[in-house]
Amino acid sequence: MPTSVAALRALVEQRFPDALPITHRTTAVATGLAALDHILPSGGLPRGRLSAWVSQGGATAILRAACLATVTGGERAAWIDGRGAVGGVVWDDGPILLRPKSPAHALRTAEELLRSGGFGLVVLSGLEPARTETVRLTRAVREGGAALVTLANETSMASLRLASRVLPSGYRWRLDPFGGPAVAQQAVIHVRAQAPGWNAQTNLTIPIAHHELRLSLDAALADRRGVRR
Amino acid sequence: MSFVCLWTPRWRTDAASAAELAPALLACVPRVTTDARGRIWADARGLDVGIVVEAIASVMSERGETDVRIGAAMTAMAAEIAAEYGRRNAEVVFVEPGTDAEFVAPHSVEVLGASPQLLTLLEGTGIATCGDLARLDQEAVEVRFGVEGVRLWHLARADDRRLIFTEVPRELPHASLDWADYTLTDPERLVFIINALAERVTTSLEERGESAREIALVLSLANREQSIHRVRFTRPTASRKTWMRQLRAVLDRVTLGDAITGVLLRVEAIAARRSPQGDLFDRGFASAGATEQALAQLIDDQGEILLTPRRTEHPLLERRTRWVAESPALLVERSGSAVGAGRAPALPHLTLQLLPHPEPITVLTREQRDHQIPVRYRDARGWHELGEVSGPDRTSGGHWEEMYAREYFRGVREDGVLVWVYRDALHGSWFIHGWWD
Repeated sequence: MPTSVAALRALVEQRFPDALPITHRTTAVATGLAALDHILPSGGLPRGRLSAWVSQGGATAILRAACLATVTGGERAAWIDGRGAVGGVVWDDGPILLRPKSPAHALRTAEELLRSGGFGLVVLSGLEPARTETVRLTRAVREGGAALVTLANETSMASLRLASRVLPSGYRWRLDPFGGPAVAQQAVIHVRAQAPGWNAQTNLTIPIAHHELRLSLDAALADRRGVRR
Repeated sequence: MSFVCLWTPRWRTDAASAAELAPALLACVPRVTTDARGRIWADARGLDVGIVVEAIASVMSERGETDVRIGAAMTAMAAEIAAEYGRRNAEVVFVEPGTDAEFVAPHSVEVLGASPQLLTLLEGTGIATCGDLARLDQEAVEVRFGVEGVRLWHLARADDRRLIFTEVPRELPHASLDWADYTLTDPERLVFIINALAERVTTSLEERGESAREIALVLSLANREQSIHRVRFTRPTASRKTWMRQLRAVLDRVTLGDAITGVLLRVEAIAARRSPQGDLFDRGFASAGATEQALAQLIDDQGEILLTPRRTEHPLLERRTRWVAESPALLVERSGSAVGAGRAPALPHLTLQLLPHPEPITVLTREQRDHQIPVRYRDARGWHELGEVSGPDRTSGGHWEEMYAREYFRGVREDGVLVWVYRDALHGSWFIHGWWD
């Protein structure tokens, strides 16, 4: 069977060399990462379509960069934080951050923003839309023309499915004087993009940002030197 | 000339006559007012005062007011004196433009309306006429006669700062419907009526090029009470659709004491439409209005959800950020192309994502030099192996509020996610606080 599918694909490509699957004939919002855009069917996140990203690490970093790239390009980007997980310490100006009070509110927010037509990229994170809700979102995104990316495990209605994970062996550490890991400096993210007739993957090396951990200078507390067991 | 003053000694004791006469003068001038001393003031600013005075005299004559004296001048003070103290045998006294101060000067300071105490003081100082007072320095007057003296000094110089004609507040758009034969209890019919009223009011606003910032829905009840509900919009709007959505939300919550006998929908506060200058090359400008409207609608529906972080220096990360609500207009402006123009594309970074609240976990540790490091932990999803672990990063404080002492560790889980866990050194319990994504 795989052989026959491959043969059929080769035959179609031979007969219609310039043909593109319908899902690929869209304009796209570039993520700003050349290596990622290269593996996406239309060179970016498709406009007017739903993209679903199943993340085991790395998606937030990449999509935040994509939001900033969208703003840099003169369009608006919005991030709907359904779980309140976006840390204010690391949030940059540019994209509009919305923190609805509940998943239902987050879905309504997404629908409203998508229909407004004022956004190039909308990211919906922290909730799992049900199938009926996903249908509504796909209609809204088609109406407004934005690129919608949901960070969820449900991918059945998406025209582009993305999956990412951090490779456990891909961390690069700065070592402490004893040779143990001190600070993780960068990680390797494996990203796979799938669409009808499309399957591509890449590895992205991404630095790790660390917040400033302010240590107390109070000498009176016993735990300053750690607690022996 | 601007001010026309009408006066007769009869009106001192019969102020009602003046009040009755005033409306008749509106045929001659756009604004008429009366004061406490029974004078009538006509606003002739921008008009030919000769024609105005002639018309007023004609009205007086028609109504049999034969003893009315009329004074016309550029300043109210001069017009007032001309009417009250002008030539007795002349019906009309015109004060030539630019000569108001000269006209006022020979008159006694009593015409300025000073209090008896100040009049005694002025008399004792030898100031008898307005000209005597006008010749003094303001500073000298202020030192000797106080605030009232300064007010009279200005009037004596025909520098009249009184507001004779106050601004007439413009009536805001409204629409109402009352019925007496029956009472209304059906919510659908009520919405239908409100919708019709909203259509009329929004059309009126559209014609004026304005938007409503706040509207009021007044329901008259059969028990003669009124139920008033105010709706304030984040972004001024004249959209009936937006109004109705907000009004429906209000009606959903309200409980009325009786059936309805009337509905009034009125605009409480208006704002002019804003038309900002756009940049031809701004790709987001064309959609800025729609974006702002969508965001405003979300705030109207859900409350403050547009937030930006304000960072503090608090040692604990979960308390370091304070989320502050932003206005849609400001956010749209900041999120437009002007923000990103010229900025280099941002490179992605794995950043710390915090759980809303640290979640307790069970941890297995091993000893490393002088401390214990986590090697496995169990959360709601089961056990997780930690590969490389760095730490501890110790932080403590909060003596005067809520004491804390934590040992933070970063560890790579078996699925590759870098997690942030800590041990509460005060109680010995472990928590997962976040992960890098």
